[in-house]
Amino acid sequence: MSEDSGLWLLLAGPAGAAGLYWALYRYYRNTDKSHAVEHETAVEAQPVTGSDHKFDEVKGTRESRISDDNLRAYRKRVKRIRDDTAAR
Amino acid sequence: MSSADIPSSTPGRPATGPGSPQDVPPSPGRFAIDPATLPEPIRDELQAPDPAAINTSADELKDGLNRCPKCGATDIRHKPGSDLLICLYCRNEWHGKRVEEEFGLGVGIDQLKGTVIASGARDIAADAATLMSFKCTGCGAEVTINTESAMTARCHWCRHVFGVNEQVANGAVPDAVLPFHIKKDDAVARIRQFVGKRRMFALKAFKQQFIPENVISVYLPYMIVDGNTSVSVAGKAEIETRRYTRGSGKDKTTYYDADVYQVERHVDFTVDDLPLESSTVRGNLDTRANTNNIINTILPFDTKNAVKWNASYLIGVSSEKRDQDVEHLRPRLEDQLLSIARAQVESSMGRYDRGVRCEQERLSVHGTRWVSMYLPVWLYSYHQPGRNGGMLHYIAVNGRTGKPWAACRCSSGSSCWQRSPSAASSKALPSGSWEPPHE
Repeated sequence: MSEDSGLWLLLAGPAGAAGLYWALYRYYRNTDKSHAVEHETAVEAQPVTGSDHKFDEVKGTRESRISDDNLRAYRKRVKRIRDDTAAR
Repeated sequence: MSSADIPSSTPGRPATGPGSPQDVPPSPGRFAIDPATLPEPIRDELQAPDPAAINTSADELKDGLNRCPKCGATDIRHKPGSDLLICLYCRNEWHGKRVEEEFGLGVGIDQLKGTVIASGARDIAADAATLMSFKCTGCGAEVTINTESAMTARCHWCRHVFGVNEQVANGAVPDAVLPFHIKKDDAVARIRQFVGKRRMFALKAFKQQFIPENVISVYLPYMIVDGNTSVSVAGKAEIETRRYTRGSGKDKTTYYDADVYQVERHVDFTVDDLPLESSTVRGNLDTRANTNNIINTILPFDTKNAVKWNASYLIGVSSEKRDQDVEHLRPRLEDQLLSIARAQVESSMGRYDRGVRCEQERLSVHGTRWVSMYLPVWLYSYHQPGRNGGMLHYIAVNGRTGKPWAACRCSSGSSCWQRSPSAASSKALPSGSWEPPHE
């Protein structure tokens, strides 16, 4: 057994304990829960429109995903373009 | 000072041009300038509908007395497990009017322009009093109701039952109420079952002193919003074109080639009955300070079945007053509309197997309609002592669907469970709350 794998075995205990505590905390306290407003609201939407324009290529990256992938992070707000004509 | 600096005492010719006292003012409801000649934003604002466009007040109940249509008695109760009202004198039963049909709240969402506010959702007057007094028409006695926590009272002399049915300017009377369907026994069973699955690592004191029978029924204030909206989203997306490895053994590394796209999406949509907590305290979903997210989690309610406001539905039930106006809640509404739009456009991005990075979003709210509503919740709450006042934990059950959710205490340390069970439960109850009749 190499030195690296021995260190990993030593760290597995504390990491497992921390993981178990985190899982129990979530299960008991439910701090990550909220109303799924995105899927539980009655929405009538028109067909989605838009455009796709290829403008660049990436060669030889070691990242398996695009950086800051947030498509499913619906509640993560990004730069807001203000619309002055919004009704008040 | 020269005489040239002194205004002439001789009256000049009276002004007669446009805007002068001699000008004939436009008739009520009309503008002096043709709106068609104005820029579009100003024209839209001028022509937007009256903010308090829907009058939901119950004029027939303004004296506080809700009389049985059959015998005239005022001892009216909500029949548990239904939307019916029942007269305790002659046992006559009748159904409250649904606000959807009564005020047309379920239609025309795609035609909404500007902000339409029902009369019970108007801004709260800063100087509005909490206490309301009624003069009993039966005996002349004065009956006072504290709208902070109760909406009904009984005349102590002749036993007439009074309710706050007039839409007072303190935010206590909403446009509609959704009656309880889940009875107390059912709520207790659901709480017991939910917590029963989380007993292994709970504090010993919690297990000994947990008394779900201390659950109480509360009407919590919400704004129910319909919206007509457009959202645009822009960002970058990538499609993998090649995957290859270099090196061997431990130095083997995977590399990727990808095409990068600029993507833009636009969606027009309407939302129907989006619920927003209209109490500042309950609307604070910061889980570092409280577990209000538990109350949020039991949403949604079947708000389509809400009935026109009638204080008789609240006899024996606590209520919390709204303290947020439409403008306070608008940022949260916009945030949720943007979240909904992001979920809507997700399915159109399936081809981008390396993911999408949304970078910009634009929201145009064409129109909204706001209705104030009381929604039914069964609550079991307890206070955990600690720094900055400790933390309030909730176990909540949706009073219509029975959906339960909870935040149970499992961490070690000083415990509030050392106190008596009654003290532990009463500590967190809204002031003035009392045991409900939903047995």
